[in-house]
Amino acid sequence: MTSLNLDFSVLDRPVRKEADELTSTLENDVLCGINTHDQYFTIPRVEDFSRFQKDVVEHVKPQHGTTTLGFIFEHGIIIAVDSRASQGPYISSQTVKKVIEINPFLLGTMAGGAADCQFWQRNLGIQCRLHELETGKRITVTGASKLLANTLYGYRGRGLSMGTMVAGWDTTGPGLFYVDSDGTRLKGKRFSVGSGSLFAYGVLDQGFRHDLSIKEAAELGRRAIYHATFRDAFSGGTVSVYHVGPDGWTKMSGTDVGELHYEYYPADAVENPERHGGGEGDIFVPKKREHEQNREDGEKKKDSSPEAMET
Amino acid sequence: METYDAVGENNFNPSSYHGNHTKQHATWSPYDNNGGTVMAVAGEDYVICAADTRMSTGYSIMTRQYTKVDEMSPKTLMASAGFMADAATLKKLLKGRCDQYQFANNKPIGCVAFAQMLSNTLYMRRFFPYYAFNIVAGLDAEGKGAVFTYDAVGSYERTNYSCQGSGQQLIMPVLDNQLKTVSPLVLPAVSSATPLSEEEAIDLIKDCFATAGERDIYTGDAVELFVMNKDGIRKETMPLKTD
Amino acid sequence: MDSQFAFVGSNFVVVCADTTSVQQIIVQKSDEDKILQLDKTKLFALSGPKGDVSNFGEFVKCNLNLYRLKNGRSLSTSAAAHWTRNELAKALRSGPYQVNGLFAGYDDQSGPELYFLDYLATMHKVNSSGHGYGGMFSLSLFDKHWVPNMSRAQSLELVKKCVAEIQERLVVAPEKFLIKIVSEKGVEQMTMVTATGEITSGGPSSAMPSSSAAVDVEMKA
Repeated sequence: MTSLNLDFSVLDRPVRKEADELTSTLENDVLCGINTHDQYFTIPRVEDFSRFQKDVVEHVKPQHGTTTLGFIFEHGIIIAVDSRASQGPYISSQTVKKVIEINPFLLGTMAGGAADCQFWQRNLGIQCRLHELETGKRITVTGASKLLANTLYGYRGRGLSMGTMVAGWDTTGPGLFYVDSDGTRLKGKRFSVGSGSLFAYGVLDQGFRHDLSIKEAAELGRRAIYHATFRDAFSGGTVSVYHVGPDGWTKMSGTDVGELHYEYYPADAVENPERHGGGEGDIFVPKKREHEQNREDGEKKKDSSPEAMET
Repeated sequence: METYDAVGENNFNPSSYHGNHTKQHATWSPYDNNGGTVMAVAGEDYVICAADTRMSTGYSIMTRQYTKVDEMSPKTLMASAGFMADAATLKKLLKGRCDQYQFANNKPIGCVAFAQMLSNTLYMRRFFPYYAFNIVAGLDAEGKGAVFTYDAVGSYERTNYSCQGSGQQLIMPVLDNQLKTVSPLVLPAVSSATPLSEEEAIDLIKDCFATAGERDIYTGDAVELFVMNKDGIRKETMPLKTD
Repeated sequence: MDSQFAFVGSNFVVVCADTTSVQQIIVQKSDEDKILQLDKTKLFALSGPKGDVSNFGEFVKCNLNLYRLKNGRSLSTSAAAHWTRNELAKALRSGPYQVNGLFAGYDDQSGPELYFLDYLATMHKVNSSGHGYGGMFSLSLFDKHWVPNMSRAQSLELVKKCVAEIQERLVVAPEKFLIKIVSEKGVEQMTMVTATGEITSGGPSSAMPSSSAAVDVEMKA
């Protein structure tokens, strides 16, 4: 005799945890492990929680700022990200791993608070593995993204800051979801998230075709992120590109933005050839810049006032 | 830092407190910054963790002999800057956890496991953070030097060198200039070990602290270096200017 | 901001909603279905923060489905709408769902019905209504043009009037509108392109514009 085991938890109203329930003692801190997404967070005993959170952000300056993108095309999914983390104007790292490898078929990207992303995506990895052990099957991308969205929805209004994409391959083919800390969850074919996303969208939308080859698609992703690092001060470092196919994900490339710059930026190739690094030479010695030359011949000076911006 | 009403013990009742609270309490904040600089450099078979010994509040120096580096396990060193009360509480908690690990597994905790534990511990206080900026230094399972650097709420990364605290913005550019290697994210992968010998690294760290002390009011008095290699942990101290 | 409106026809209810998903200034998606089909003859158009919308929407849908499984029959439109209002009212005192809704349905006893709902748990049975700025433009058009027992053709004309007004006056008119008509037979879907007023049958993703033939950027292989 087999029994039918249905999970009716979806029918329950989402639990909103009160401050009291979340408050823990030192003992709790020592003893508690990671039980899926039931965490015991210490909550400050203040009257205005939101204001306290705002001040805490001022004080501890968590790491922020990013460009990430992902798109589905004929041969799977491309995920591309930068690697910079900043705390205010200070660049706290140029080597952040913003693609989180949840399992061989699932990737998550991070934008927003670095700790929030790292912690909850790791937590998602645990939930996905538990699902595998319970059912004997790999979790679908739909399911994984829903687990994350539900977790984040439970912490709505508590000041978490995350904008992530969950990408992967399951029995239904490629899947791409946008999930953020307000509990938004969108299925889609093309997303870009983070402070540089507007710049990345520009290049991505123009260059996208469904029938791109894997190589062309990886190049499009890398180029879109490069242009975002060029315009957005909070993005930079190394551009990493991943491809997700029927056999799981592979890392396609990891390239320093400094190197990409000389490949991608011959915008004024004819006018100013030495901008490319001076041909054969190892050392780049710039010729005098325009305003320095102007100062010398003093003639052209009239059309540029001190306030005028130079490009 | 802004001010808060009704912050108190766990059994404090905020509603009854609210009725007769005074201005004195209204200006209270749970945080202070005690300054200090901590740093670590990892090599192929060694790691060095260093910190100055000054502890300040506002413009006054509270002590010139405060050790900010602790041995958490035979293979793990931890240094914290920021709010020393939080840092001390955090280290006490973590030492307890390390003992529990020893009892449960009959071996001391490794530095990679410790690094993940610190991240989780910091994140448990996501909504009321430990105002401490930490570096973990140790030798991994293969005996290679490892440095882990954190933000206050638990985001962390394994690197070859790091600096945190009040002198961070002065020292980090020097370390980048001297020690920066190819990013571990670059493909094809390139080995990215620190190119210095142990002695060279010690000299570099001493220079960094001496220079930071010239320009940062919260760094000075002395620098303590904990050098860990296959022979164990050794401590060196170098005096800094006390002004 | 979401734009949605709905009205009652002769033996059906027409529900319209835009299909864009916006974050700050970015259109993240332009083929989103914001009109939830609760069962064969019930529709629930929701607007508000996306997390609340999907959570509350699924909560209502799953519970109505559970009722059907337990009792072998579905709730009437009126009963389902009242149950939904009650859940909103309960949530109001414990961190509310910030959702506004239009609840439409058809049942054999009372025919087509439409209920207005907002996040404060206000509910009212109406002949026509709307939410959001787009909805406000259509309200006056309903006052002028809505009559009882409108035919299907008349109803689609009225939808066109509303969409044309939104296109004319709303500062950022959404690209497309999804139209769902619920009647005795079930739910019929159509998509309307705002700029042209052209209506095609099917959901929002089946009527995607052929913009994928985008220009190739110059790329190095």
